[in-house]
Amino acid sequence: MYTELHDPRNFSLRRVANSGVYAGLKVGERPMRDSVPAGGICPGAKIIVRDIRVFYGNKQALYDVSLDVPENRVTALIGPSGCGKSTFLRSLNRMNDVVEGCRVEGHVMIDGEDVYDRNVDVVKLRARIGMVFQKPNPFPKSIYDNVAYGPRIHGIANNREHLDAIVRDCLTRVGLFEEIQDRLHDPGTSLSGGQQQRLCIARAIAVSPEVILMDEPCSALDPIATARIEELIDQLREKFTIVIVTHNLQQAARVSQLTAFFHLGRLVELDDTERMFTNPRETRTADYITGRYG
Amino acid sequence: MTDFAARRGFDTVSQRAQLRRRHRAERRFQFYGVAALSAAILFLALLLWTILGNAFGAFQQTMVRLPVHFAEDIIDPQGTRDIQNLGVADYGGLLKRAIRERFPEVTERRVKRKLYDIVSPGAVFELRDMVMQETETAGTGEIGIIGSTRNVWLTASDDVDQFLKGRISVETPEAHRRISDQQIAWVETLVQDGAIERHFNTRFFTGADSREPEIAGVGGAVVGSFLTLFVTLILTFPIGVAAAIHLEELAPKNRWTDLIDININNLAAVPSVVFGLLGLAVFLNFFGFPRSAPVVGGMVLALMTLPTIIIASRTSLRAVPPSIREAALGIGASRLQVIGHHVMPMALPGMFTGTIIGMAQALGETAPLLMIGMVAFIADIPGGLFEPATVLPVQIFIWADSPERAFIERTSAAILVLLVFLACMNLTAIIMRKKFELKY
Repeated sequence: MYTELHDPRNFSLRRVANSGVYAGLKVGERPMRDSVPAGGICPGAKIIVRDIRVFYGNKQALYDVSLDVPENRVTALIGPSGCGKSTFLRSLNRMNDVVEGCRVEGHVMIDGEDVYDRNVDVVKLRARIGMVFQKPNPFPKSIYDNVAYGPRIHGIANNREHLDAIVRDCLTRVGLFEEIQDRLHDPGTSLSGGQQQRLCIARAIAVSPEVILMDEPCSALDPIATARIEELIDQLREKFTIVIVTHNLQQAARVSQLTAFFHLGRLVELDDTERMFTNPRETRTADYITGRYG
Repeated sequence: MTDFAARRGFDTVSQRAQLRRRHRAERRFQFYGVAALSAAILFLALLLWTILGNAFGAFQQTMVRLPVHFAEDIIDPQGTRDIQNLGVADYGGLLKRAIRERFPEVTERRVKRKLYDIVSPGAVFELRDMVMQETETAGTGEIGIIGSTRNVWLTASDDVDQFLKGRISVETPEAHRRISDQQIAWVETLVQDGAIERHFNTRFFTGADSREPEIAGVGGAVVGSFLTLFVTLILTFPIGVAAAIHLEELAPKNRWTDLIDININNLAAVPSVVFGLLGLAVFLNFFGFPRSAPVVGGMVLALMTLPTIIIASRTSLRAVPPSIREAALGIGASRLQVIGHHVMPMALPGMFTGTIIGMAQALGETAPLLMIGMVAFIADIPGGLFEPATVLPVQIFIWADSPERAFIERTSAAILVLLVFLACMNLTAIIMRKKFELKY
């Protein structure tokens, strides 16, 4: 029992033990909503990751990480720099594919489909799993075109009005429409840092993804802009499944329901955020949370 | 008081000395910069001054006014007014008669020949063109130019031109100058009669090369340069950009691409004559393309400029921030869409700049073109890509090599034309860059 708990591979199994959600579930199977016990935090796993190993050339960056991402919840990935949390995030929508010399082993399932299957269209996958980056990176185009780009390339909008509606809807959702409705055709780069990041989120949700991956979305922003984004993340949770990498422990505590602690390429602990921050099981987690390293 | 305490204030002796030293060093450094810049500006000014000073004369051409009787018995003895017959008539005889009539006192044959030399050999064609043009435009039954006597302005010979521009000194012994005392006397009579004027030299811009400097023009070379560069541009830009995109965006980084990389960099440093030799061996001898043709010149220059354009294009592709690529990939753009919608538009201004730099290099190139015969004497303005042509730098080279005094100013003027051509190209590049520039 003890060794089992210390094998990182079994952390999700431990969650199984804790919540009873995944009991008897095989890889690739989706948990039944009905099986969620009353008062449970996890209504179901959107993404199931099993034994994922990532290599950059000869260097291994992730060791056998297994993790379930529950649907319509915010999962925070925390850990010191270089612990592999960004690598893990990028493995979920295969953004690592474009990195020279990067190799991924193991399974990532979204709704029971293997993301790394040979027949998977990466383009479609990334439309389903959107991404927001550390530094706001709007295209050097107008605000409107930034949001409209995704729907355009995926042929989502049938006509001009539909596209306008999508853009308006997405900008409203991120709380940007009020602020900028009369300068939709100004360049996206003319906005402030926080507004740019919200624009990037609007751009990501414009293709109506199921999952949004956020790679330290607030690290380049001031506290007020950060607060707005956090608020937004909380709202977006209703429609999307969110995985967020953050260096800011308070942020993880504020926005997420589930927290995963990574260290040296391994998943050390995975638990409900509340429990993780109040009563971590691992000493390494406790040390990190209390600021002893990282 | 310890040393440490003494060092603390702003106004201690040692502090002030240190500050003075630093200021002196800064001033010295600034002085070196300003001195280097001044030297560069001075040399540039000197260069432009000499070229302009020399070139100025070429823009004006001395003309002689002669009363010419367009005698029907010489031009059109049959009276048919047939253009073909008019074209081959003896206008030389007509001209000689007009000159003889202007100076009736000259009778001796040898002296007469000297007299004819006052007017350019090109004047014969000027007379012919006058007759043919007027006959063509005139309706039938009109009294045309034939049979009338007119005062016409004809191009003076280069020696007269140079003498009147003060480039041939009277002090030089007669045997050592190209214009004799007697010819000078005739010219002076003409000047007194007001029969000599300087006109703007249109022919210099519209004409092709000639052995006679007074009727030689840079027009043929400009057209040749234009055609050649056109071929170079349509070959290098697509090939160079495609190669750069492949190497930078699509190709895996392995030993092969490294090898290609090194070789492209090496090719950029290969002496241009080598490309000329390659062109001679491949395009002329193997593929049998015509000699002296702009299409071959363009291809040779394309070989030479390709490395420059590829390197510049790759640099500008690399300058596109990776965050933009990630952003596009992150919302599900395909690789081609990332390149086409985001990377290319941002890299394009840099690619244009690189291309224009390459083209400017190609514009000034002589050596590779010598190898494929573009150094030939071409007295016609090329009409197409496969016709014999020469280019501006080669024209300058040919003229600089010619012994006639009047070619000196024409050489400078041609250099000026080349510089203006270059400035226009650079201007286009700047406009293009400004137009396509994206802010991020």
